[in-house]
Amino acid sequence: MNKVTYFAAETWGSLRKNLILAVAAIAVVAVSLGILGLVVMGWNMFSNMIKNAERKVGEVDVYLSDLTTEEERAAIEEFLVSIPEVDPATVIYKNKDTALQEFKERFKDQPELWEYIDENPLPNSYELLTKDPKDVGLVVGEINNNAPYRERIEDIKSASSAIEKLENIFDKFRQIGIIGVLALAIVAILLVSVTIQVAIFARRREIGIMKLVGATNWFIRWPFIMEGIAEGLLGSLLAIVVAWAVKVWILDKLIENLQFLRLSLSSGLIAVLFPCMIVGGIIIGALGSAYALGRFLEV
Amino acid sequence: MIRMRRVTKVYKGNVYALEEVTLDIERGEFTFLVGPSGSGKSTFIKLLIKEEVPTAGQIYIADTNINQMRKWKVPYLRRKIGCVFQDFKLLPHKTVYQNVAYAMEVTGKSHRVAEQQVPEVLKLVGLGHKLDAFPDELSGGEQQRVAIARAFINRPPILLADEPTGNVDPSLAEGIVRLLEKINSAGTTVIMATHDKQIVNAFRKRVIALENGRIIRDQDRGVYGYE
Repeated sequence: MNKVTYFAAETWGSLRKNLILAVAAIAVVAVSLGILGLVVMGWNMFSNMIKNAERKVGEVDVYLSDLTTEEERAAIEEFLVSIPEVDPATVIYKNKDTALQEFKERFKDQPELWEYIDENPLPNSYELLTKDPKDVGLVVGEINNNAPYRERIEDIKSASSAIEKLENIFDKFRQIGIIGVLALAIVAILLVSVTIQVAIFARRREIGIMKLVGATNWFIRWPFIMEGIAEGLLGSLLAIVVAWAVKVWILDKLIENLQFLRLSLSSGLIAVLFPCMIVGGIIIGALGSAYALGRFLEV
Repeated sequence: MIRMRRVTKVYKGNVYALEEVTLDIERGEFTFLVGPSGSGKSTFIKLLIKEEVPTAGQIYIADTNINQMRKWKVPYLRRKIGCVFQDFKLLPHKTVYQNVAYAMEVTGKSHRVAEQQVPEVLKLVGLGHKLDAFPDELSGGEQQRVAIARAFINRPPILLADEPTGNVDPSLAEGIVRLLEKINSAGTTVIMATHDKQIVNAFRKRVIALENGRIIRDQDRGVYGYE
C-alpha cells in the first residue's frame, strides 16, 4: 500500500512538471485511438448495411437481346432453372412490354421520363432469386460462362456487383484507416517516450541517489512506467469520450434519418470497442515508457 | 569483510586506475585510504559498490565474490554498504527528514518504521532539531551529517566515505570523522578515502596509501605520510 501511494505521488508529480509534453502525448494517443474507434464503428455500420441489404438481394436479372428466338429463349430458361443454386420457382420471364409498363408505373409522377419514347428501349429479361443470397456471384458466373446462346444474353445484373464495388471502396478506406491508426500509434508511442525521457533527465540526480541507496531497478522504473501508462490511459479515455459523442450526435442521427440504407451498429460493439481502446492506450503508454527506459535508463 | 585479490581497473585509453591491488579489511575496522588525486581512491570505492567492475582480479564482500554477482542483486549489495560523498548528494527539494527517510522508502520499509528511526539517527548525528530544514539552509558540515545519517539509516555493515570532509569547513571536519568513528564503534566497517593530512594524523587509524593505482603502504595506526 505504501509503495502504491509512493508510485502514484511520483507519477502525478512528474506529469505535472512536464505538463505541455504530457498533454501533447495524451492528445496524440487520443487522436490515434479515436480514429481507431471511428474506423471500427464506421466499418461495423457499413458491414451491417451490406448484411441487411444482402438479405433481400439474392436477385439476378438476365437481359436478352431482341434477336433472341423463341427456341433460344426456351433453352436459356431451361438452363436458368437447372442451376442448382437458383430457386426454380422464382425464375420469371418479363417481356419488354411488361417491363415498360412497370417502368411507367414506377415513374408515373415523372411522365417526362417516358412520354416521348417511340420505341420500347427495354429488353426482354429473366428475373430470378438464388436460394442463398451469398451465391449471387456464383450464379452470375455460371450464367456468364455456361449459358446456351450466350451471345443472346446482353447483360447480367445483380445487386451484389454494386455492393461488391462498395465493399472494395470501403475495404480501401478501412486499410487506409488501419495504416493511419498504426502510424499515429507509433507517433504516440514516440511522444510518450519523449515525455518519459524528459522525466528521466529531470530526475537523473535522484535516480543516481536511488541506485546508491540500493533501490531495485524496478523500484526506479515503476514511476516512469506508470507515467507512460497514465498518459496512454488518459488519451484512451479522451478518445472514448470523442467516439461516444460521434456515436450519439452523428451516427445515431444517420441511422435514424437514413433508414432506407438500413444502417445500424451491432449492439455489443461499444461494449467491446471501448475496453479495447483502453487496453490500446495502456499498451501505447507502456511501450512508450519501455522504449525510453531501455534507451535512457541504465540501471 | 572486504577482500581484494590482484584487482586491476583499466579505463578507456589504457588509463590504469588500480593495479594489482590485494588487501583485506576486517569486520569493524576503520581504515583511511589516502593518496593524491588520481591515485585511484574513487575507483576503489566505485568497485566496492559495483558501480565499476574490475578489469582483472577478484573482490569479495562478506565472502561473496561480487564480480560474479547477478545484476539484479546489485541493489541488495548496495543496501549493505552506506556511501558518503564529497558533494553530499542530497535531494534539494526534500527536507532533511525526507532525504534520510528516502533511503528507507527505496528499500521498501514502511512510513511507520521511518518515522521511528529517522529522527533517532538524525539525533545521533546531531541534527535532531533540523528535521524540516532543506539542504540549502544547512552548512556543509550539517549537510554531510545528513548524508551520513542517510548512509547509516539502514544499518549497513560497511560504510564508505569518499572525501567526506572535502567540502566541509576545516574546523568542522574533525566532527565529521568523530561521527564516522562513532558509527564504527557500533560495529560498522568504515573506509574513508581522504587527502586531509591533519585528519589522518590526528586519528591514527589503519592507513592504506595509494599512488598511481598501487598500494605503496599499509600501516596500522599510521600517518598520512605524503608531503
